[in-house]
Amino acid sequence: MDSKRRVLVAGAAAVCLALAVAPAVVSPFLVQFLINLFMLAAMAESWNIIGGFTGYASFGIAGFFGVGAYTTGVLLTAGHWPYPLALPAGGVFAMLLAALIGIAVLRLKGQYFAIATLGVTETMREVVYNLEITGGGSGLNLPMVQSPLPFFYLMFAVLLLSIAVNRRIATSRFGYGLIAIREDEDAASAMGIPTARYKTVAFALSGGLAGLVGGVFAYWITFVDPTEIFKVSWTLRTIIMAVFGGAGTVLGPVLGAAVLASIFEGLSAELVNFAELGSGIIIVVVVLFMPRGLFETVRRGELSFRHLLRQLDEYRA
Amino acid sequence: MKRSLWLVAGAAVLAVVIFYFGARAVGGRAETVIALGAAISQSGKYAREGKFYVDAYKMTVEAVNAAGGVKVGGQAHKLGLTLYDDQSDPSLAARLCTKLLTSDKVNFLLGPYTSGITIAASAVAEKYEVPMIEGGGAAGNIFDHGYKYIFGTLSNAELYFQPAIEMAAKSEPPVKTAALLFSNEAFDKSVAKGARKWLDEHKIERIYDEEYQPATLDFTSVLAVIKSKNPDLILLAGHEENSLNFIRQSQAADVNPKMAVFTVGPPTGDFRKTLGAAAEYVYGITTWLPEMDHKDEIFESSSNFAKQFHDRFAYEPDYHVASGAADVLAFKHAIEKADTLDPKKVRDALASLDVQTIYGRLRFNPTGQIELPQTLVQIQSGKVVPIYAGGKPLNKPRYPTPSWGAR
Amino acid sequence: MLSLQVLVNGLLLGGVYGIMALGMSLIWGVMRIVNVAHGALIMLGAYHAFFTFTLLGWDPFLSLPVTIGVFFVLGYAIQRFLLNRIVRAQLFLTLLITFGLGVVIENLARIAWSSDLRQVTPAYQGAHFELYGINIPHVRLGVFLSAAVLSLLFLLLIERTKLGRAIRATSQELRAAQLSGVPVGHIYAVTFGLGTALAGAAGALWGMLFPITPTMGGPLTLKSFAVDVLGGLGTMMGPLVGGLVLGVIESFTATYVGPTYPNLLSFGLLVLILVFRPAGILGPRGLSG
Repeated sequence: MDSKRRVLVAGAAAVCLALAVAPAVVSPFLVQFLINLFMLAAMAESWNIIGGFTGYASFGIAGFFGVGAYTTGVLLTAGHWPYPLALPAGGVFAMLLAALIGIAVLRLKGQYFAIATLGVTETMREVVYNLEITGGGSGLNLPMVQSPLPFFYLMFAVLLLSIAVNRRIATSRFGYGLIAIREDEDAASAMGIPTARYKTVAFALSGGLAGLVGGVFAYWITFVDPTEIFKVSWTLRTIIMAVFGGAGTVLGPVLGAAVLASIFEGLSAELVNFAELGSGIIIVVVVLFMPRGLFETVRRGELSFRHLLRQLDEYRA
Repeated sequence: MKRSLWLVAGAAVLAVVIFYFGARAVGGRAETVIALGAAISQSGKYAREGKFYVDAYKMTVEAVNAAGGVKVGGQAHKLGLTLYDDQSDPSLAARLCTKLLTSDKVNFLLGPYTSGITIAASAVAEKYEVPMIEGGGAAGNIFDHGYKYIFGTLSNAELYFQPAIEMAAKSEPPVKTAALLFSNEAFDKSVAKGARKWLDEHKIERIYDEEYQPATLDFTSVLAVIKSKNPDLILLAGHEENSLNFIRQSQAADVNPKMAVFTVGPPTGDFRKTLGAAAEYVYGITTWLPEMDHKDEIFESSSNFAKQFHDRFAYEPDYHVASGAADVLAFKHAIEKADTLDPKKVRDALASLDVQTIYGRLRFNPTGQIELPQTLVQIQSGKVVPIYAGGKPLNKPRYPTPSWGAR
Repeated sequence: MLSLQVLVNGLLLGGVYGIMALGMSLIWGVMRIVNVAHGALIMLGAYHAFFTFTLLGWDPFLSLPVTIGVFFVLGYAIQRFLLNRIVRAQLFLTLLITFGLGVVIENLARIAWSSDLRQVTPAYQGAHFELYGINIPHVRLGVFLSAAVLSLLFLLLIERTKLGRAIRATSQELRAAQLSGVPVGHIYAVTFGLGTALAGAAGALWGMLFPITPTMGGPLTLKSFAVDVLGGLGTMMGPLVGGLVLGVIESFTATYVGPTYPNLLSFGLLVLILVFRPAGILGPRGLSG
């Protein structure tokens, strides 16, 4: 037990150290790629709290991502707040908004919950469209920062935070409560778990973390636009990465994001205008053959042709 | 136990993948090639217009090379072109521009399509202090950052409706009222801002002034309101799809202004083809027409450029295409003027450039934007006829537009 | 009178919304699959109408039966060979796979047919007539009537035929249906085929009104969600009523509030209804009415 832990910790420390010095060593494009990767991984980890542990597949994560981006952006430009204040403010506002929305929306189950959260994201986009302070359809322009380094470390920090939150949840009573809700909500309630409160906290944490990611993204990309930041493909890619890596585990979503983001980026560079087609095919293939995620499939020793083909029949009518 | 091994293995795979894709540069480029790069929308919602630029860039690079390339330090260099697909996604466009500059090591950047993507891409060019010339974004917020390395070949949005309103003000029977409808993107908001100024100046009353979302398909409610107010002049700022829908629906709704002007659509070939007879009498705005008879040494004349383009790509070029071609031509002239590939010197050469091309006069104002006059055109018998520009009438307009029933 | 014109406009468009959303509701109600590729299928229907019109000269209204046939087969195949594999998996997996499918279809369409705008422009394109001062375009009326006829035929199928009964049984009580010998796999495939046929027909109708591009499907999927939730998820009449209601609401909002507000209203309503009255206007889950 001890030696396994030591290997893990050493491995994690090594990876972190390598990433910390990466900007000095690797090409600027790779730095940009890594920032993007950290972002997707952090989003996947955020989603994991409500989608993985609690089993409530939220389709609204793009919404809170956008809320964080816009809040930070507006505070930065119109409010003239310094960024070290604007960023956490964006995360906090997203978290509070998620709590509020969660109270209403978490009463729904399964597909209704999914569609409701999708609707919430769309509504948020429309609200932003019609507000003066967010720049409406013209979007928000943020000041430019010369170096990508602050964003590299910031996004990395947000990722570490999201992993830490997941880890804390996984080993806490709160986390066991969430898992119990996922497995059988009525039984969990009967056992005395305050399901409504737990779900709302999970949803709020998920939203808050996504908001932080959004706040960093906005400043990095210098331009926030309602159609781009609330688009449904952020949510869907986040979910596929979390699922691919293993929803409900602590590091699964990060690894899923790492592998899929690399593949998608590679496709964009190599296949040019067939890249999106390639990513669509990959999504279909992943859901068909590895619905439990790559690492779970591997762990079960099921990464063989025979097993993959058998998977095709597991969920059929 | 097994799980941690797999985690390590996964991380290793990841590392390999990253370094493979990140570290490799585009292979085997000759020393004497001047590399131009661009991330352009080849898929996703801007793919249609993105294609105009892909084709324009390709053809112009080939034409420049065929005419002897670009002379630097007494030597002739060929132009190279690397194109990526930004999938109509601004953040991908920004990453791809970074890749172009740092991994593919292109010398200069060409712009993407649409203002939102151009803003993201231009931030990258400015960061790396490499000149980017774009022909696909004209919104004010591209040029009011004070960026030094960004140049644009589409004119200032606020000037778009000026010739239309000037002509309208001088028309008989007179134009007294106008309806202004604009998409709420930055570019169209700027167009509307300019329009309000000209309308006030010419004492034309704005009886309808509303914004709509760019994705709007159905204008029937808007048309119902406009019909009830019966304006003499309708001004629509939006994308080609908006113009198409508006015209078709105004025919069905029987809305009959004396004059209807659209910022995007009329000069473009597929607009007229799609609308057929309904396109008659419609007014549009363009900085460029093949008949304008601009000349240069690469393409000889704008009409020759148009013919070459049409022969090669099987569709007629419009001002988007010409703007894209101008981007490449501007680099050729600026590089030769600076006589070096040093980005800063080329940037300075661009800032002071003043040269005639088949797109018109290439000269950028202090914020980096070109200042070409807009020409009001009208579709007459399926042809695009220039009507009014620079304060002067050019051809007789078919005015007022007859009602739908009377055609 | 302006309000009357606005009302009529809303109803005419609402009819198309209804037929568009009907396919999604059917699939949802019977198979519990949320088909995110619904809009992509509508898009294919529009292209189908366009190509039969331009290359074969078929009038878009008259080619509807062909569209329905072709898309039924397409849907049946998609279900039988692809979606059947994940029918009993968790909800979000079906959402993900249909999302991936939608991306693939959209990109294949773009690669095959380019992103150029297409339109179906029959000779009677701009024709219209006046009724008590209300302007009614021929094409819009034709589209509305076609949607109404299709809806009626569909309802007859579901309510009056053996197949319809089997479909309803499968949706309401899966285990019982299986036990009483209903070939569930086949029913699922037929249902998806029907849903796709409806999507294809809706696309053909939509393509007569608006330009056709490979990316047109995304917003239509979202619109279908809004219509279905409003009218009652999984019901048959629900989407039709929801479509009309939404069409009218959008029309009035665009006219009297502002052209940038209709979507805000649609999606805001979607959320409010799910939270406060998930059954929508017409009723509970399962096929009814």
